[in-house]
Amino acid sequence: MTLSGQGLSVQGLSVQGLGKSFNGRTVLEGVDFSVAAGELVAFLGANGSGKSTTLRCVMGIASPDSGSISIDGAALETLQGRDLQQARQRMAMIFQKIHLVPRRTALDNVCAGALARIPTVRSLSPLLFPADVQQEALDCLDRVGLADRAFDRVGRLSGGQQQRVAVARALCQRADVVLADEPVSALDPRAAEQVMALLRELAHSEGLAVAAVLHQPDLALRYADRSIGLLQGSMTFNLPSTEVTADHLDTLYAPDRDVSDRDVSVRTPSADRTTAA
Amino acid sequence: MTPRTLTPAAARRETTSTPRVALVRPKKPLRWITTAAVAAAVVGLHAVAIEGTDFKPELLVDGWKGMAAFIGDAFPPDLSWEKTLKPGLEATLVTLWIGLLGTTLSVPFALLLAALAAENTSPHRLVYQAARAILSFFRAVPDIVFALIFVTAVGLGPFAGVLALICHNTGVMGKLWAESMEEIDAGPQEALRTAGANRIQQVANATLPMVVPQFVGLLLYRFDVNVRSSLVLGLVGAGGIGLLINQSIKSFQFDSMLTHILIVLVLIIVVDQFSAWIRRRLAA
Ligand SMILES: Nc1ncnc2c1ncn2[C@@H]1O[C@H](COP(=O)(O)OP(=O)(O)OP(=O)(O)O)[C@@H](O)[C@H]1O
Ligand SMILES: [Mg+2]
Repeated sequence: MTLSGQGLSVQGLSVQGLGKSFNGRTVLEGVDFSVAAGELVAFLGANGSGKSTTLRCVMGIASPDSGSISIDGAALETLQGRDLQQARQRMAMIFQKIHLVPRRTALDNVCAGALARIPTVRSLSPLLFPADVQQEALDCLDRVGLADRAFDRVGRLSGGQQQRVAVARALCQRADVVLADEPVSALDPRAAEQVMALLRELAHSEGLAVAAVLHQPDLALRYADRSIGLLQGSMTFNLPSTEVTADHLDTLYAPDRDVSDRDVSVRTPSADRTTAA
Repeated sequence: MTPRTLTPAAARRETTSTPRVALVRPKKPLRWITTAAVAAAVVGLHAVAIEGTDFKPELLVDGWKGMAAFIGDAFPPDLSWEKTLKPGLEATLVTLWIGLLGTTLSVPFALLLAALAAENTSPHRLVYQAARAILSFFRAVPDIVFALIFVTAVGLGPFAGVLALICHNTGVMGKLWAESMEEIDAGPQEALRTAGANRIQQVANATLPMVVPQFVGLLLYRFDVNVRSSLVLGLVGAGGIGLLINQSIKSFQFDSMLTHILIVLVLIIVVDQFSAWIRRRLAA
């Protein structure tokens, strides 16, 4: 066993002791995991188990109450200002709702991933984007297999193609950690397979660290190198996908899991009186 | 396959005979009182308003003859080219130009103020409040008041009308645009923020391109309104067909007045059809 922590320099993302609560309700507790460069990791868990919150804390969209996040061994909490910003830009997020601008072309949307490298005046309109950024964006589109659709409006592409454009935008950001929150939940089965295959390829062939929240365990087990189970804000397993069993999955989605949550006392006091009568 | 005695649906039906949860709507005793109070308030307000506006329909009945004479004088409309039609058409064009410039020249100001006055694009809370206040001011002052002010500054004529419309339209369009930006899906903007884009970059590459259709729709709507406003501005000396209508009434040339009003009618229909056509093309 190696000691986790400072001394160990992991290529990729490493998260330790992540905790988060909303209004006094603990949503995440002691979440530890790492996503190595070249690896695709799947997050599994029921609705409300904290998968999105985990990704949002790592991305800095939500601020965690506790825990340490490192990229290539450098802990984000030790960085400040410009360095912190640059470290954060090495992580990109893919969303279930894709979040592209439908009226703009695929190429212009992908260029937007590079905005942090473009001077503000040259980012006011796609016509002003530097030529090298546009070339790089086209290369990114080529990597997701959509170079031929570069000048189509995103709104005219299919859901699966749109999600691949979003992946290309993450590539154009030059991210080496990609976090995807339910990237295939809005896609049909075939498009879902394509996007999962793309994410795996980016990890395996291009050495990115990729983590994806999935609601389909079979996709996770077939594509991900490792799967992590979250249950009410805590990790229940973190195993190579080949070692994940049906029992593991059952604990995550067991039907009686949230009986305590459910409001069984739907009846109003007056309703009780009528049933008693 | 396990044999089942009951299908799930049948099982569910079975349980409905003895409800597990009784359906009893919570009683809201205040509902009736509230309704009655609101009704009473509305009736009371109307009574006061009728009193306050000297609202007397019988006057209309008595004055029927005067109105009939007025309308009789207006028929047939005066269609003489030199005296009525030509000046009417020229003045109508001026009215159209006032409406056009009043709309387009207010775009830069409205755009800037809208971006500062929308919660999701404003750089700071104080800027947001200030921009809202400025927009409220320009919206609250009627264009006709602006016209009177500008007439004293630049003299009678269409230029005063253009300036007045720019001011008022900046207030209205800025507010409408700010609201449509606040209603837009925040996702793309958040995506660019996580990619490290600064605020201006987020607005230019996510928020603004997302709201273009709404912006153009509102712009056309305001053009439509402004053309009609510029008519009214003509009545207070800001040029255009409104001025001619005013003059023909004052000189009792009701047949010329009718011609001018008919020209205005055509103008309004054309502008309306034009905006509808653009909006259709935009939606497609
Ligand atoms: N901004 C917030 N304010 C309050 N509670 C929140 C907030 N965001 C998330 N939560 C709560 O945190 C818990 C975990 O939410 P999260 O969105 O991370 O779940 P999830 O695993 O992504 O679920 P799903 O599969 O439905 O997407 C939920 O109980 C949710 O209500
Ligand atoms: Mg989620």
